[in-house]
Amino acid sequence: MRGAARAACVLSAAALVALTVGLAPAAQADSSSPAPSGSSAAKVLRIGMTTGIDNPNIWALNSATEFEAVTLQYDMLMKFSDKDLTAAPGLATGCDHNADRTVWTCKIRSGVKWSDGVPLTSKDIAFTYRFVIAKQFGYFSGYFTEGTTFETPDDTTLIWKSPTPTNGPMVPAWVYIAPEHIWGKYMNADVKDITSAKVVPVVSSGPYTMTGATPGQNWTFTRNPNFWGDRPAYDNIVFQLYTNQEAMVQALKNGQIDVADGLEGNLLPAVKALPNVAIQKVVSDFWVNMAFNFGGRAGKPLPALQDIRVRKAIEMAIDKQKIVDTVYPGAASPGETIIRPLSVFWHLDIPDDKVVKYDPAAANALLDQAGYTRGADGVRVDPKTGQPLKIRMPVSDDTAGSTPVGQLVAGFLKAVGITVVVQPVTAGKMYDLQQAGDFDAYIWYWSGDPDPNYQLSVFASSACPDLSDGCWKDPKYDAMFAQQQTTLDPVARQKIVKDMQQYVYDQIPGIVLAYPNALEAYRTDRVAGLTSTPEKDGYLMPSYTYTSLVTAHPATATSAETSSTGLPAWAWIVGIAALAGIVVAVFRRGGRSGDEQD
Amino acid sequence: MRLHYIGRKVGWALLTLVFILTANFFLFRVMPGDPVALLARSQRLSPEALQHQRELFGLDQPLPLQYLTYLKQTLRGDLGVSIISGDTVWSMVASRLWPTVLLVGLGTALAAMIGVAAGIRGGWNRGSTFDRGGLYSALVLYATPEGWLGMLLLIMFAGMLGWFPAGGYSTSSGSGATDVANHLVLPVLTLALGYVGQFMIVMRSSLLDVKDEDYITTARAKGLPDPLVRRRHAVPNAFLPSFTLIVLSFGFVLGGAIVVETVFSWPGIGLLTYQAIKDQDFPVLQAVFLLSSTAVIVANLLADVTYGFLDPRVQDV
Repeated sequence: MRGAARAACVLSAAALVALTVGLAPAAQADSSSPAPSGSSAAKVLRIGMTTGIDNPNIWALNSATEFEAVTLQYDMLMKFSDKDLTAAPGLATGCDHNADRTVWTCKIRSGVKWSDGVPLTSKDIAFTYRFVIAKQFGYFSGYFTEGTTFETPDDTTLIWKSPTPTNGPMVPAWVYIAPEHIWGKYMNADVKDITSAKVVPVVSSGPYTMTGATPGQNWTFTRNPNFWGDRPAYDNIVFQLYTNQEAMVQALKNGQIDVADGLEGNLLPAVKALPNVAIQKVVSDFWVNMAFNFGGRAGKPLPALQDIRVRKAIEMAIDKQKIVDTVYPGAASPGETIIRPLSVFWHLDIPDDKVVKYDPAAANALLDQAGYTRGADGVRVDPKTGQPLKIRMPVSDDTAGSTPVGQLVAGFLKAVGITVVVQPVTAGKMYDLQQAGDFDAYIWYWSGDPDPNYQLSVFASSACPDLSDGCWKDPKYDAMFAQQQTTLDPVARQKIVKDMQQYVYDQIPGIVLAYPNALEAYRTDRVAGLTSTPEKDGYLMPSYTYTSLVTAHPATATSAETSSTGLPAWAWIVGIAALAGIVVAVFRRGGRSGDEQD
Repeated sequence: MRLHYIGRKVGWALLTLVFILTANFFLFRVMPGDPVALLARSQRLSPEALQHQRELFGLDQPLPLQYLTYLKQTLRGDLGVSIISGDTVWSMVASRLWPTVLLVGLGTALAAMIGVAAGIRGGWNRGSTFDRGGLYSALVLYATPEGWLGMLLLIMFAGMLGWFPAGGYSTSSGSGATDVANHLVLPVLTLALGYVGQFMIVMRSSLLDVKDEDYITTARAKGLPDPLVRRRHAVPNAFLPSFTLIVLSFGFVLGGAIVVETVFSWPGIGLLTYQAIKDQDFPVLQAVFLLSSTAVIVANLLADVTYGFLDPRVQDV
């Protein structure tokens, strides 16, 4: 038994020492490759992120940070313009089409090289598109109509042939161009082998390439010496993951990071109070949706919600401004249409005279007029079915602020005699409820491409029963949707898209409750030159283009130097030596006194 | 030590492992939702693309067939590919293993050493200022939520004083050992403070139990000095419960520390588990639960076998 006590002490002490000593190899082993930022002169931009890069492989995109990492490293055929996210010259300087827009000829820049020095040609672009179609990478393959082919008569020409008229290259197709000399050998490989291929250091064409990755922690990007555009000021960019938002704010305050990306709205007051910190409120990239169930799936919808007068009364009874002020203070705007404001070219600002204004008295009057009289308990009753107006409303936990928004909505509707039962659920459960049609209304989110086609498609009848919220079906909307798909002139299409937004706003298959802002913050004393995409209230980080991180530069000559936090190496050596000395002294003293006195 | 005793213990451990293999598979599939469907909104996938993803991961197959495939693959050492990241689960788990061992191992070792030492001193001098202060502190720390404690330390030492980094494992890829050590201080301190109470309370309590035993009185009657009675006669006999706790605690090391890893953005198994649960990433969930369960089973087995060695009477039970 005496041995047991000593053994346990020795076990714990040995674990302590072994793990402490193990720090050195740990620190060495965490890097896929050494980052050339070791030089004290290297200029490093540190960006705090709230989601990480699970896999740096371009074919395994999932999180927002993974999209940003890929945007920083790769080019598109035509890129998103920094002004309004419409098509602008990327690897192609421009694309021309034939009369019926079935053949597009794109002129590719000459002299462009991959980061490893291999020339980038039209063949890389054709390969990427064929690869995407063959492997059905979902987030890329939707840009190609079935039967599309690609030809490369020379290194600077790409011919895009579609069996039907298309705007393909000019949407623009959100597909990053990958090097054929790296990925060509995977053309016949299984998708799992492709997505699990090790890619760091990355070969890319953009301003930076990933050269180091510590999974779940940080990712280092090094300036691409062969980048075809302007030379970026920073030698390295580091994405640092913070799973705790408060910690990211503290890191920004202490200068451990220069930029904080993906801040939550509730931290806005704390960030505003920091000196030398600027906040970028990005115009909404997603919207909070209150959708109604119209049937079409297994579950039975609430008959009263099929009556547009009830839906209109509900919209009038909801104070969107109060939702914004209460749940997203200073970090959102009231919602209007299904195309979010970030798609500057396509978004419709509803004219003032057509806006449904918050007016509970008018909502009550409308419901009275429609025959939905209040019962003894104050809850209105459907005159056709005799059912009380009681709405089961799940709210999904992957939508920021969904539960308090749901509770506010319940309060607003109670005032007009409608009961709402709010049910907070996980995103997984929400999917089950949606697919089963087991809800009367729900609160979830929508986001989409800068191009409106995908977002508009989920309101078409053909989206039922898969992507549609509540299986709203409207032949007039379907006709408009088909028309915008075949209208290739951007201005003519813009008009149809705006008409569609107005139509959905008037028909109320759901209510766009809020447009929450994305929030970015940066240290003005450390970094300057960040630019916004789109031009007005856009992203500073590479969500759609890398422009901002090419123009960014240190605010002063010394502001890009890494700020050091923590004890220096000598302090650690002294501390560990002192600790070891104490442990040895205690053991020796114990052993000697025991031997002498036993 | 009798071989059949060890054989029996190993047999039970293997049976438990088989049960866990099965439970691992069905447990996560009871969760509502479809992991692939969760990609629909974030990746704007069409219904055809979703179906393709389901086929890719075998999620379109009947559950019994999926179970058989899972068993076959796991027994071959193939943990599969993450539904979300597309990376191999082995490589994802392997990259998180060392940070977790470093953090939870150091935290547990520190807590065990300090807690046991404080428990011995407090228990032997019951009612002293050290004992009372130590006991109250231990109870408070034991009851304190680790997340809250971590946030306090983070705001104080990283935010207000700026002594240590606000989170993470290193400043950038390829950072030195000092950098990692600086990142390690606050999370290890949080864990050690969170764990120390249990070690102290258990040690103190068992020392109080043996303090008035006849053999202690005999040792004193022999004229042995008090420190020697404590070290040679009281502590060794009172140590068994603490020994079990220490060995079992090390068994939990591989499970990670979800809350502390999340607060300090520590890239360990705990954080991977948290993310995999959120994403319903079945292959990753199965792997981390299998790993942590196996570690606990092995630690239990070690404790059982060592127990039999320390106290041969238990071999007959």
